Amino acid sequence: MVPWLLLALPLGATAAAGRDKLLGVHPSALAKYTPSKSNTWKCLDGSKEISWNAVNDDYCDCPDGSDEPGTSACPDSRFWCKNEGHIGAYIHSSRVGDGLCETECCDGSDERPGTCPNRCKEIGEAYRAKRDAELKIQKTGSKIRSTYIAFAHKERKRLEDLAASLEKDIVAKEKEVEKLREIAERTESLTQAALDHKRQSPLYQSLLNHNKALKSLKREYKKHADREKQLGQILDSLRTGYNPNYQDMAVLEADGEESSTPEPESEKTEEAVDDGLWTADELDSELDDLIGTDYTSLLLEHEDHINTPTEDSLLFKITSYIPDAWLPQYEAWKDNFVDWLEKLGIVSEESSGSSTEATRAQQALTEANTELNHMRREKTESESDVLKIFNPEHFGAEGEWKKLDDTCINHEVGDYTYELCFFKEAKQKPNKGGSNFSLGRFQSWNKDARPGSPEYYSKQVYQHGTRCWNGPERSVVVLLTCGVENTIYSVQELEKCEYQFKGTSPALCLPPGKEPQNHEEL
Amino acid sequence: MWARSVLGIVSLALVFNDALAFKEQDFKTCSQSGFCRRGRALSQRAQEAKSAWQSPYSVDPSTISVATDKAVVQAGVKSSLYPEVNFGLEVRIQEDGAVRVRMDEVGGLRKRYDEAASWALISEPIISKNIKWVAGKKDLRASYGPNEVVVSYAPLQVTLYKNGKEQVVINGKGLLHMEHFRKKPEPAAAVEATPAAEGQEQTVIEAPENPRAWFEGADEDALWEETFNSWTDSKPKGPESLSVDITFPNHPVVYGIPQHATRLALPSTAGENPTFTDPYRLYNADVFEYLASSPVSLYGSIPLMHAHSEESTVAVFDLVASETWIDVSHSTDRSTETHWISESGILDVFILPGPTPDDVFAQYAKLTGTPPMPALFGLGYHQCRWNYVSSEDVRTVQKRFDEENIPMDVLWLDIEYSVDHEYFMWNEKMFPDPVEMINDVAATGRKMVVIVDPHLKRDNNYPAFTAAQELGILVKPKSGEGEYEGWCWPGSSSWVDFFNPNAWDWWKSLFKPYQLEGGKWSWTKSTEDVHIWNDMNEPSVFNGPEITMPKDNVHYDGWEHRDVHNINGMLYSNATWQALAVRSDPPKRPFVLTRSFFAGSQRFGAMWTGDNLGTWEHMEVGVKMVLSNSIAGLSFAGSDVGGFFGNPEPEMLVRWYQVGAFAPFFRAHAHIDTKRREPYLLPSPYKEMAIDTLRLRYTLLPVWYTAFRETSVSGKPILRPQYTVFPKDRRGWEMDDQYYIGGSGLLVKPVTKKDVREAEVYLGEDEVYYEYFTGETYRGAAKGRTVTVPAALDQIPLLVRGGSVVPTRERPRRASGLMKYDPFTLKVALSKDEGARGELYLDDGETFGHQRGEYVWREFTAVKSKKGLRVSSRDLGSARPAEAVEGASPGLTSYDRGNKYARTLEERDVRVEKVVVVGVKAKPKSVKLDSQGGKELEWEWTPGVGSKEKKGGRAGVLVIKDPGVKVTQDWDIVIL
Repeated sequence: MVPWLLLALPLGATAAAGRDKLLGVHPSALAKYTPSKSNTWKCLDGSKEISWNAVNDDYCDCPDGSDEPGTSACPDSRFWCKNEGHIGAYIHSSRVGDGLCETECCDGSDERPGTCPNRCKEIGEAYRAKRDAELKIQKTGSKIRSTYIAFAHKERKRLEDLAASLEKDIVAKEKEVEKLREIAERTESLTQAALDHKRQSPLYQSLLNHNKALKSLKREYKKHADREKQLGQILDSLRTGYNPNYQDMAVLEADGEESSTPEPESEKTEEAVDDGLWTADELDSELDDLIGTDYTSLLLEHEDHINTPTEDSLLFKITSYIPDAWLPQYEAWKDNFVDWLEKLGIVSEESSGSSTEATRAQQALTEANTELNHMRREKTESESDVLKIFNPEHFGAEGEWKKLDDTCINHEVGDYTYELCFFKEAKQKPNKGGSNFSLGRFQSWNKDARPGSPEYYSKQVYQHGTRCWNGPERSVVVLLTCGVENTIYSVQELEKCEYQFKGTSPALCLPPGKEPQNHEEL
Repeated sequence: MWARSVLGIVSLALVFNDALAFKEQDFKTCSQSGFCRRGRALSQRAQEAKSAWQSPYSVDPSTISVATDKAVVQAGVKSSLYPEVNFGLEVRIQEDGAVRVRMDEVGGLRKRYDEAASWALISEPIISKNIKWVAGKKDLRASYGPNEVVVSYAPLQVTLYKNGKEQVVINGKGLLHMEHFRKKPEPAAAVEATPAAEGQEQTVIEAPENPRAWFEGADEDALWEETFNSWTDSKPKGPESLSVDITFPNHPVVYGIPQHATRLALPSTAGENPTFTDPYRLYNADVFEYLASSPVSLYGSIPLMHAHSEESTVAVFDLVASETWIDVSHSTDRSTETHWISESGILDVFILPGPTPDDVFAQYAKLTGTPPMPALFGLGYHQCRWNYVSSEDVRTVQKRFDEENIPMDVLWLDIEYSVDHEYFMWNEKMFPDPVEMINDVAATGRKMVVIVDPHLKRDNNYPAFTAAQELGILVKPKSGEGEYEGWCWPGSSSWVDFFNPNAWDWWKSLFKPYQLEGGKWSWTKSTEDVHIWNDMNEPSVFNGPEITMPKDNVHYDGWEHRDVHNINGMLYSNATWQALAVRSDPPKRPFVLTRSFFAGSQRFGAMWTGDNLGTWEHMEVGVKMVLSNSIAGLSFAGSDVGGFFGNPEPEMLVRWYQVGAFAPFFRAHAHIDTKRREPYLLPSPYKEMAIDTLRLRYTLLPVWYTAFRETSVSGKPILRPQYTVFPKDRRGWEMDDQYYIGGSGLLVKPVTKKDVREAEVYLGEDEVYYEYFTGETYRGAAKGRTVTVPAALDQIPLLVRGGSVVPTRERPRRASGLMKYDPFTLKVALSKDEGARGELYLDDGETFGHQRGEYVWREFTAVKSKKGLRVSSRDLGSARPAEAVEGASPGLTSYDRGNKYARTLEERDVRVEKVVVVGVKAKPKSVKLDSQGGKELEWEWTPGVGSKEKKGGRAGVLVIKDPGVKVTQDWDIVIL
């Protein structure tokens, strides 16, 4: 008993005495760790003067923890690992003397001697190898990136050229519209009375009735189709997004029934087509055209048809005598020629019914106007696209992302393929069939970072996808790093209906040397 | 068909949106349960009959047999209602004075279930050899100490007296009724169905008057079949329920019978103006979004009730495994009447005589055991979510904790780790490298807990299912043939029947993290760092009656599920516990979390309060529920931090961390529909508050661990509500929002309300208390005093009781295991008499070495004398070796101070780095280490109030720097 007690008495103080006073001090701060003449030392925040012996004695004296750079005594201080042969690093004081040999402190200086071997050589080598590999990727990536930038410049050129040429066309078109408008106005005044009379025709009235009926039927059809679609979606989302915690057997059963039902619709509809009736698809597309028929024009054309002789004029027959190679020029010439003949009143004199003439004039005007608007729109778009290309908040300050506009990449996880179309939309597609879900449309880059900074382009947000069953709208956060390919390598649903894609893109590979430095090297 | 199901879905969608609440219609009320209805009607008739009521049960004196060598008496009992039926009564008095009353039907048509005790008790209780029964003309009597047990013959009544005063009376109200087994009457349909001829007056055949109607009622009520919602219980054994009244004529308040979301002091359910109209129900159930105030049964059942008064605390433990309803009423303001109605099983009631709460804890622990020393990591912080979705996710979460320097011991995986909810089987698409992932987590001293539920997907490619099927150890349907099929997470599932002995060895083999010989399947894709979470073990069956198994399902040996329902969940966590203990050599302490529990579950790990809601009221009732579990033996308890459902606002989450940090089991968990809410995601300043709370938990781990040692030996709870510490102080009886932590002297009152910035703390004694962080003094009074303590959002109302020494480790690290060689700080909080005492218990926190004497158990004291204040450290292991640890190896009668563990601490120079003495009024003249020739120590004194003074204000604090002593060593510091 007695010897044991004696053994117990040699104390921590002896262990502490041997401790290096400068352990854990960053080289730049070494000068601050010197005793005064009276062998005292001031806490770095100046709040307290302590004995030099109290520095690194494994007891926290200073409120700022500065007296214990080499121990875990102060709860929020830092320990500097020199890591010779690798990169020096700070570790939190809570990791000092915890018995773990962390990579960040590969020299093991934070642990009792003999606990952690110095692994800086191998860790340093591995680190450098990894860094070299990354650098290689970065280099290759940055080359690709520069082609993206070149593409952006080409795009700008193309769009600017397009805008310029559109500008010319617009001017020409405007003149044409002006001319056509005059003609149309002139002809119209002549024909109104005649037209009113023709509209009394029973044929016309009956057509109007048919049209009304068609519209009503279409409205009802659409109502039902929408409803069916909605119900289908509910069932789909039940199957995929059913929340089992509700523990409701009815849901499971209903879902079971639905999914076990063979999908009959497509087959059935195809069978049903005979006697020249429309298929569902045709119905969808043709019904609108039919309803949109201009009955007045039809009426007039009908009259024309009745009144015109059955032969076509020579001018219209001549094509059969012309060699194929000349045909396009001939057609163009012919159209212009006829057009002018009409406009000059030469041909129109021969056609009967002035109302037809008025309608044609009106049609020509409308068409021209439409073309004009289209051109204008196209021009505005190209102009704004030009602005976006080099806007840091769109395709990057160097336009490096323009290349990826609408580029789609895929990643398969489990039963789904995830598709990301840059700057457009993210989607979830079931591999075993079933409907796709939108996971959201592009909203923004990383809003928490400064536009133009690398962090800004490291994250994209896609929002307002299909709403989850009893949950939020689906959304995606895309986390990107530099890589030689545009890929997604990981998809996780971290919260319900909130996805995280991880991927790479060369657009993020800055030329080496340009990126901000994170590590301090010795 | 299609259209119909669509309509169904649409209407369902409507129902779902507003159905985010407790589904009342899924669970029975008493009036929907045949035997409860019969039991309550019996009580009603007794009340109406008043003094004319007399129990039909009586002892037949001619059958009394008194054992000569021990305190056991047996006697035949008859009911005047059924003279042909025989009952046998046995009353035993145990060594510790507890009384066991057993009654069973003798020679009946069938056997009542009598095996609950074999699962709940640690061993057959030892019967006293000294106490003697004496048979008299009217009764049987046995006296010991101040106690006397009396068994009256006619009517049958068992009473425990203390000093001549009634403590516990069984059948005092005459509600005892054991429905005997009978033959199902042949349908008498033929006679009754004959239609009376039209126009003729129907001849009324006078039924012979039922002579038992006064007691049993005129009509038979649901004896042979019962339907609830769409489920019909076939009740093949017919009626077999058991009703018994237990009265505490001199005890005004009762506690216990967890688990219910209600106050600790049980509100009344019967009598005048009851708080609840239904009885408390014990029928383990998976209750979706349970109410924060209700007598409805929840996930677990412990049929133990404390009855309390100024003079004594007593308890009854009604060891029955079937569904049980308990009415509580107070006919006067000093008495309590209870009525226990169970569906099946024998009568097996223990009367625990107390007379103090600590005695009751010890008496109950002797029956059902104590919580063993937990693995140390189990007391750290547990981070859970339904679900961390991939190994990448797990690594990222761990990384984020490390980046923010947040302590965390365990990362959890909920059901989605498994493919198709086939537990053990990793979803390799999301977890392609499970063993590497576990090793990465373990590399920082952390562990993983992975869920394994008791339902097995019926999939012929699932090795656990096919093996169980082959072994024939699955629960059977009512036919007794084949396998019961129900729905749970994986869809169609079956359940392992742990009542079948063949299930146990097989279950143990599954958890072996290495390939078994003979090619049998085991969980090779796990490691010893994986521990287990057992959920859904009520059992939860989505398409079953009341979300559980049909009662007529058949278990091993032909017992019906109704007979064993409430202990079913305990068998599951018991089996898992044993499986983990034996998977490694030498064995290591397992960690198992269970949702369902019964009396005895404390031996098999921790429990939590299930799927709570992220609301303030659930936070508040969670504290009460944990306290209720604590006094019922299951100390290792907690509720989900943040609430399982919902998205708690930052203030709520901060408060919830404070609640969790002061519960024995500290886990944050969240439903799959919630936003992520790991503490590092909180915005500032809430994040820093949560992190500070987590660090505080880690600095206090020595307190928690030391408290566990005490409960592992004595059964005294970790969390101690006011009535258990100050039993005579009436004002503290109803308190269930503040509590002491073990014997440490820490008193905490977590804030569980929004916008609260002050807390009223009740001090039930004339003693000084110190605010833990500032040393602000608060003085109690002999009659009790309420003091107001600041409780800003970053402040937890935490006081240190004067007279305590609190050991801490002030260097919180990433995980508890990394702190094992860190030095200690002692907070010596002087009492008004300028003394203090505290304990520290240490062992390796991992193996069972402590049972072989590998531990360190210290006592710290402060004593004032003319020679100054002496702060000392002494060895308790040597002083009290017999009561040091639970489960000590036989033959371990002395303590070796040089044991393996103590030597490690020696070698690693584990010190006391700081001694803080609180309540020192005057600046000391000297502070010396007595044992080293009076070496003067470095110290610093901050002026303030002394412990003896009457006034308030900051206490004077003496900080002694590094006295240069090891924690394993005896030392004295003298302060002059």
